[in-house]
Amino acid sequence: MTGRRRPFSGAAMMPSCGRRLLLAAALAVAAGMLAPFARAEDVLHLYNWNNYISDDTLRRFEQRCGCRVRQDYYSDNEEMLAKLEAGAVGYDLLVPTGNAVESLIRRRALRPLDKARLPHLGNVKPEFANPWFDPGNRYSVPYASTVTLIGYNVEKLRSLGLPTDSWALIFEPRHLEKIRGKVTVLNSQRELMAAAMRYLGHSVQERDPTKWEEAERLILRAKPYWATFSNSTYIKDLAIGNIWVAHGYSNDMFRAREDAKAAGRPFGIGFTTPKEGAVLAVDSFVLHKSGGRPDLAHKFIDFMLEGENAADVSNLIGAGNTNAAAMPHIRPEIAAEPAIFPPPATLRQLEMLRDFDPKLRRTLSRMWTEIKVR
Amino acid sequence: MNAPGTRPTRWLVTAPPTLFLLVFFLLPALIVVLASLRQPGEFGGLAPLTGLADLGAEAYRFLLDDIVYAEIFARSFVVAGLTTLICIVLAYPLAWLIARSPQKRRDLLVLLVILPFASNFLVRIYAWIMLLGPANLLYTPAAVIVGMVYVHLPFMILPLYTNLEKHDPALLEAAQDLGASAWTRFWRVTFPLSLPGIFSGSALVFIPVLGMFAVPELLGGTGDILIGNLIKEQFLDNRDWPLGSALSILLTVLVLLLAGITAWAARRGLHGTEAVS
Repeated sequence: MTGRRRPFSGAAMMPSCGRRLLLAAALAVAAGMLAPFARAEDVLHLYNWNNYISDDTLRRFEQRCGCRVRQDYYSDNEEMLAKLEAGAVGYDLLVPTGNAVESLIRRRALRPLDKARLPHLGNVKPEFANPWFDPGNRYSVPYASTVTLIGYNVEKLRSLGLPTDSWALIFEPRHLEKIRGKVTVLNSQRELMAAAMRYLGHSVQERDPTKWEEAERLILRAKPYWATFSNSTYIKDLAIGNIWVAHGYSNDMFRAREDAKAAGRPFGIGFTTPKEGAVLAVDSFVLHKSGGRPDLAHKFIDFMLEGENAADVSNLIGAGNTNAAAMPHIRPEIAAEPAIFPPPATLRQLEMLRDFDPKLRRTLSRMWTEIKVR
Repeated sequence: MNAPGTRPTRWLVTAPPTLFLLVFFLLPALIVVLASLRQPGEFGGLAPLTGLADLGAEAYRFLLDDIVYAEIFARSFVVAGLTTLICIVLAYPLAWLIARSPQKRRDLLVLLVILPFASNFLVRIYAWIMLLGPANLLYTPAAVIVGMVYVHLPFMILPLYTNLEKHDPALLEAAQDLGASAWTRFWRVTFPLSLPGIFSGSALVFIPVLGMFAVPELLGGTGDILIGNLIKEQFLDNRDWPLGSALSILLTVLVLLLAGITAWAARRGLHGTEAVS
């Protein structure tokens, strides 16, 4: 796959009349044809997750800076990294998850932040500042967080008397027998094996293959009870009632709950962070070296650090917020949701995924293949 | 002096396809072979090549070390074979019907066969999710076969149709005059003549099915992983290019081997029927 060349269209229009307007139009067309040589005027290029910043927020930023924001989207970190690796250029800002930030830093693909231009940096919650993937926040400013957890059909699980606060629900045959074929788990080697590791009391950053083999055995024992591996269809399936339990992301569970509510279903969707601990993902703004407008990028990051603007991501998609000043602006029922805003005790139980060396990656991939085939 | 200037003409005619094969098949294949012998990079891609010591068959050894990879290969070939067979059975009557219908309607029918290509592949697969869900077939191996057959059916119909269309009706009339029953006429005349169409259709179905990863991913259940999924996983999720390359090379070699055997058997088969008749 090759990176798409980004068209830089002439945005500035000369204030003029009649013939000069025509000339301006002709120039704009010419500028379009000469795109690779033209300099972008006040356009910020953002490479972002789909549905991660509301149009409303963007509109407010555009008004304030007198510029425009152009977005391209990706659906996972690997896709973004692969496109950048293949030579996609012209992006001022990216929104990668922790381990991808670390990868990008080590590849020297990022521009260091100029903190003098980020007066609102102090709004970041202390527990999210200075992360392991970017000590001292030299390159990244956290934006939002999600937890990988269990979502479930509240009424169904209550009537079956099953626990909803433990990974045992998706790994223990004695529970699974009651919900056979009504469970989906993520189609992701890293996420599913991480859940199994936490249930077994291991770290998700464990490097000893024998510990991972334990996780493989646990998964193989539970697999016959699962309906399928699903990365996105579980949102719909939960909201409709096709499945009763799903392993997935907190913001997706939030959406399933909203969908079920909007459709007037006779059941509700709940989601809980298992007591054994889970995976936490923190997405951050970083400046890509190929971007031509670091000035706008800094302005945008600082704008997004203001509490009112930072709150939108929680109100819109139910993501956790890494910004202390945002909290008063977040809808109370969302701010009170412990699965979206983990209390300190839970937060200590959460771990972020890290990249492994190629050898361990290969070993884990073989285990994953065995999981799929057996 | 028979046919002067044959040499240069022949060169001129065969050079472009030869060049095409060299540039777009052999060269990429060699690059993939080289990639399969190198070491994976820390962030994906390949580790920098510092010397010959960095080259090795490690990826191949890793694949042969565990029976699970052989199982996936076997399973993929079974799915591809089954898909091809079902496509032949479904496509044959249809292609025959189109070939026998009046000239005017033929173009319309062929157009109808191609029509599904007008909408996006993924949209059509999602439609199958809706259809198979209520039938309790979603997330099963059967769903994968249904999806594969659906996607590849036109590739079987079209070559069969172009073959059947060319059959001379006089042959069948002659067979009838000689007292052959309808079944004998089909089995002894139409079918042997249509073998080239079946072979090219089978190649167009069998080989792409082996590489198709979207269908098992969207319609299959917890155990439905095919060789295409495995290769895709190595490149996109696992960032292990050498292993993915090694899998691709093994697949290419197996397919070429199979094609060779089929061609050899077909030639023998044709000689066999000639000897009988």
